[in-house]
Amino acid sequence: MAKRKAETSGPAEESDLLTIRPLGAGQEVGRSCIMLEFKGKKIMLDCGIHPGLSGMDALPYTDMIDAEDIDLLLITHFHLDHCGALPWFLEKTTFKGRVFMTHATKAIYRWLLSDYIKVSNISTDHMLYSEKDLEKSMDKIETVNFHQEVDVNGVKFWCYHAGHVLGAAMVMMEIAGVKILYTGDFSRVEDRHLMAAEIPSVSPDLLITESTYGTHVHEKRDIREARFTGTIHDIVARGGRCLIPVFALGRAQELLLILDEYWASHPELHDIPIYYASSLAKKCMAVYQTYIGAMNENIRRQIAVSNPFVFKHISNLKSIDQFDDVGPCVIMASPGMMQSGLSRQLFETWCTDKRNGVIVAGYCVEGTLAKFVLSEPSEIVTLSGQKLPLRMSVDYISFSAHTDYEQTSEFIRILKPPHVVLVHGEQNEMARLRAALVREYEDNEEINMEIHSPRNTQAVELYYRGEKMAKVMGSLATKPPHEGQTLSGVLIKRGFNYHLIDPADLSSYTELTTSSIQQRQMLKFHSPFSLLHHCLNQLTSDAEIKMLHGKRAVCVFGGSVSVIYDDSAETVSIEWDADSVTDMYADAVLSVILQIVSDP
Amino acid sequence: MTSIIKFTALSGAHDEAPPCYLLQVDDFCFLLDCGWDPHFNMATVESVKRQAAWHLHQIDAVLLSFPDQAHLGLLPYLMGPMELKCPVYATVPVYKMGQMFMYDLYQSRKNSEEFDLFTLDDVDKAFDNIIQVKYAQTVQLKGKGHGLTITAHAAGHMVGGAMWKIGKDEEEDIVYAIDYNHKKERHLDGALLESLSRPHLLITGAYNALSVQARRKERDQALLNNILTTLRRDGNVLIAVDTAGRVLELSQLLDQVWRNQESGLCAYSIALLSNVSYNVIEFAKSQVEWMSDKMSRMFEENRSNPFQFKHVTLCHSLADLAQVREPKAVLASMSDLECGYSRDLFVQWASNPKNSIILTSRTAPGCLTHTLVSNLKLPSVDLEVRKRVCLEGEELEAFKTKEREEKLANEASEKEAEVYESSDEEMETGDHQATPTSPSLPPRVPKHDLMMVEEAKARSSFFKQTKSYPMFLCREDKTSWDEYGEAIRHEDYQPKDLPPPQETLPMDTEAEGDDKSEETAVPPTKCVSQTVSINVRCSLSFIDFEGLSDGDSVKRILSIVKPRQLILVHGSPDSTNHLRDFSLSSLGLAKGKLFTPHVGECLDASTESHIYQVKLTDSLMSAVGFSQARDSELAWVDGNVQFTSAAPSGFKGQGEGSGDGVQQRTPLLNALPHNQVKGHPSVFINPPRLADFKQVLNKAGLQAEFSGGVLVCNKCVAVRKGEGGKIKLEGTVCEEYYKVRELLYEQFAII
Repeated sequence: MAKRKAETSGPAEESDLLTIRPLGAGQEVGRSCIMLEFKGKKIMLDCGIHPGLSGMDALPYTDMIDAEDIDLLLITHFHLDHCGALPWFLEKTTFKGRVFMTHATKAIYRWLLSDYIKVSNISTDHMLYSEKDLEKSMDKIETVNFHQEVDVNGVKFWCYHAGHVLGAAMVMMEIAGVKILYTGDFSRVEDRHLMAAEIPSVSPDLLITESTYGTHVHEKRDIREARFTGTIHDIVARGGRCLIPVFALGRAQELLLILDEYWASHPELHDIPIYYASSLAKKCMAVYQTYIGAMNENIRRQIAVSNPFVFKHISNLKSIDQFDDVGPCVIMASPGMMQSGLSRQLFETWCTDKRNGVIVAGYCVEGTLAKFVLSEPSEIVTLSGQKLPLRMSVDYISFSAHTDYEQTSEFIRILKPPHVVLVHGEQNEMARLRAALVREYEDNEEINMEIHSPRNTQAVELYYRGEKMAKVMGSLATKPPHEGQTLSGVLIKRGFNYHLIDPADLSSYTELTTSSIQQRQMLKFHSPFSLLHHCLNQLTSDAEIKMLHGKRAVCVFGGSVSVIYDDSAETVSIEWDADSVTDMYADAVLSVILQIVSDP
Repeated sequence: MTSIIKFTALSGAHDEAPPCYLLQVDDFCFLLDCGWDPHFNMATVESVKRQAAWHLHQIDAVLLSFPDQAHLGLLPYLMGPMELKCPVYATVPVYKMGQMFMYDLYQSRKNSEEFDLFTLDDVDKAFDNIIQVKYAQTVQLKGKGHGLTITAHAAGHMVGGAMWKIGKDEEEDIVYAIDYNHKKERHLDGALLESLSRPHLLITGAYNALSVQARRKERDQALLNNILTTLRRDGNVLIAVDTAGRVLELSQLLDQVWRNQESGLCAYSIALLSNVSYNVIEFAKSQVEWMSDKMSRMFEENRSNPFQFKHVTLCHSLADLAQVREPKAVLASMSDLECGYSRDLFVQWASNPKNSIILTSRTAPGCLTHTLVSNLKLPSVDLEVRKRVCLEGEELEAFKTKEREEKLANEASEKEAEVYESSDEEMETGDHQATPTSPSLPPRVPKHDLMMVEEAKARSSFFKQTKSYPMFLCREDKTSWDEYGEAIRHEDYQPKDLPPPQETLPMDTEAEGDDKSEETAVPPTKCVSQTVSINVRCSLSFIDFEGLSDGDSVKRILSIVKPRQLILVHGSPDSTNHLRDFSLSSLGLAKGKLFTPHVGECLDASTESHIYQVKLTDSLMSAVGFSQARDSELAWVDGNVQFTSAAPSGFKGQGEGSGDGVQQRTPLLNALPHNQVKGHPSVFINPPRLADFKQVLNKAGLQAEFSGGVLVCNKCVAVRKGEGGKIKLEGTVCEEYYKVRELLYEQFAII
């Protein structure tokens, strides 16, 4: 095993091949997991589960890879489809690399997954991991601040704000001078509490971007918000109950800010309660109140005066038992795609009354009830298998903070990466986006852009001619280089950086020190000095007689080896400074002396 | 290629005055910190002005290390009255907490004297220029500073504290690190100066070179014992702290201790008193990601914000403090006792032998704290007690007349203008300062919007708690019950006739009695000062909570960092000389590479640096074999420089953004043909320690023992270390000799 690795790591490091292999989120949405290999470094980006599948089926195709070989695992944000498989991967595989995420992501990850474990305990017996695994995984996760540069064995990376949700990051990686940007999920529009995704100041050589919304163009933010509040107002005005299934964290906070503001400006609605049914949100309150550093300028300024995450019109609903279903109300409940849990329960209770309404406010994955409901079926099947007529109104107002075509194409236009890899998008959406991007750049002479959309487990292979640049420093570089000059020195390789310096400068430029070894071998010697001198002169013909340490000595090989003759003790000692050549000389001298000793 | 590096100390060299230095790298001029001493000594300013006669508009960037007055106090003055305009770089917490420091300082001064060196607007203006950065974030400078990068690294000491690394062309690093703390503390992880190893130039302080610190545990215990004994004898404890730096460590420590049932402290009260205490703690809560790993882990796992205090009461004024039940422990700003509530409390409490006053830092020379720390047995001190008192008698009359005249004049002008908006305007100004316009009447009420936030405290939950419907007002006081009956509210039993001590010192009894004076909310005031001799009868102690590395550690860190050039600043002459002598003897620095500048002296640390790039060809690289030494791989190369005519088009340089126009031609380094390779002497890199080598020998089954510093193996081979790291191997001609030698060679990276 070890041998095989030794063989593979050598050439891999020299190879110019860069592969990007989606193990999930390749032409699909869900279970984001992308493998990146270059110069022998293996990086995994995100490790999510598929929300529409359960148990082992929901995992990305991690059997394609050797978890042990992965150097680095980066998690962009706390959504289940980006970090849901992490506890499993950290605790149930041989992975031993390092894991990074932002502070806010880590804090929410803990509670979000704990909630996920509880919720799915009801529906699946086949759990991927337990609460204990989750707790253990916390110790292995390291945190990184936005813009902070981290170097892991020659892979340098740093994060940019990505919008989307609190703590969401885009990761820029640099391996041997090649820069790769992975956007994760991102949004280029500033909203109530998050900033728009930043545009990196350096252009990447390769962009791995999400393509969730393909060529769709989002409504303007104010129009969308007006439609949202208007729809809710209509529903409650007609005496109906309004259900908004949401992910417990992330976009929900944005909707709460909108609702609280709308209620504040409409006193006539004050009788109608808004509930936010999530124990998780309550738990994560402290996180939202703490990591304001990851939010936009507005919030950061406001927080100095009062906390905007203290809502005046929204009550928390701990459980369904507390809920008194007597009249019009607005309820935000998780999960966002109504797979199970409270939002499903409420939906099943309310769907037969035409006064009621459901507003799907986020992105829905194929195979979930929320997606099914959007196709306006006349009947739905409950979790218990019963068929119910669907009479309540269904609206779809997307608040999911993913980029649309305008934002994505603008982002690409600014960065101009030579290669774009699309991930995290349904097959059709992705194909449309790809076609649109190809069209945009096909007549452009200046920009040569290749767009890839690999399927799961299919690798995109790119070649980057890795130039190895070395910096010549110190006394070697006192004069500018000229044609044909010979440079000899120590080449130091650290990560992917090379330096060439003179051995004498080693200690002043690095922590390394040089040393020398002086050797001395002694043996009994009874013959006269003249014989010693004669024999050694036969060997080298440059034997010189000197006085060393007050004793007679013969120096040979240009003085590099000296043989000291001690009359009184009847010994000779051979002295030299260790060196590959001199060691050989010394051996030759020794054999001569041994010959004299054995045959005087 | 020569880099020009010039360094001028404007303040804080060969003494303990606040640091302020000018550093010029090529054409770019940095101002490293800009501290102002607690007395607002104009000499510093003069020095800056004189030095900066041509510098001031030449300063291209300011780098701030810490948020306290000693590191950025001068900033509002520079940016305000002196009209310095340039970007300022600081970490996010330094930005936030720096503002807190400045607000508190301004307000503390304003509470007791006329203060007009700068205004709060200057503070805001100065902080608007700050570019906030994160740790390990590389900022590329533009314009004149093209090619320079700056990076902040965690320095401990205070939240957001930074050591700055100024890099040029990725190789020539200048590191500016003063007042760092390498030790882990409750709320901060230590500085890792070691990770910035082998800088080209290190600028560091000698402040603590001679200090010896007690162990953290003993120190904490001393503090707690002091507090506990004082509180138990019914005395009050004053702990002088700063506004928003070290106070976090202390308040966090004390709150934790108070939580501990066994400490016996829960029966007493603890308060944090400064003009901005609420905001400081709010900001601290939102800076968990800047604090120690332990803190953020605690937060991630329990969602309990470490600065969500259970016991520490936050107070903004002496009146607030009076509400806190005695006996109490009070953390009050400023730590130098020159102004602020700590000074007020000192004046009040020092003469009572029951009380205890704890000083936590030495602060700058000339401060009351500094005087007290250097002589803790001082029987009495002469203090200038400044206070703001209400006008009375003739003065009041004079003021009233003046006011009336002004009012009349105002009305007259209003009539002339025939508009009524002016009353609105007056209302507006009235919002900010309760007293009508008069230059001699500075506002009592804090002007800044950040100051008044008490309402926000009431509501800390995420959601609304109860639903209210429109109805007639009916205040229903909820009564809470426990097993002893209705809970007692202290407010109900407070004597109503005693007005709360309104920011006036209790000794000026004559000042109380002007209730009738004015219908305005805040009576007109003036500032008076008198010199009072205060008998220090309380117990006075200094417990070092400065959070700075101690002398031994400073030296140890220096010997690991091993800078190639060193500038020593910020320390008394003794400690500066001490550290200089140490550096000369232990760091192997040549005389010309070590500087201990005096204030105003401009020293030239320019060096010729030789760097150029070559491209390693595949033929060369395939021939070399690397050997590992620590974190790097080493190999010997013999190469041949070759300038190719056409650089490959796909070339991507390391230095991104280096300007597309100036594409430098990079020479190739080819492998030298075998017949031309001259042999080179073997280089033995990274010598092992003899003790480690002994382990290796033992593992290999060879008997090895130390005898008088010499490692003897099997009684026939000896290994010893000579001077200069030279290793000597001696032995008889035997099998062991070769075995030992082989093992010894394996310890090195030999190329």
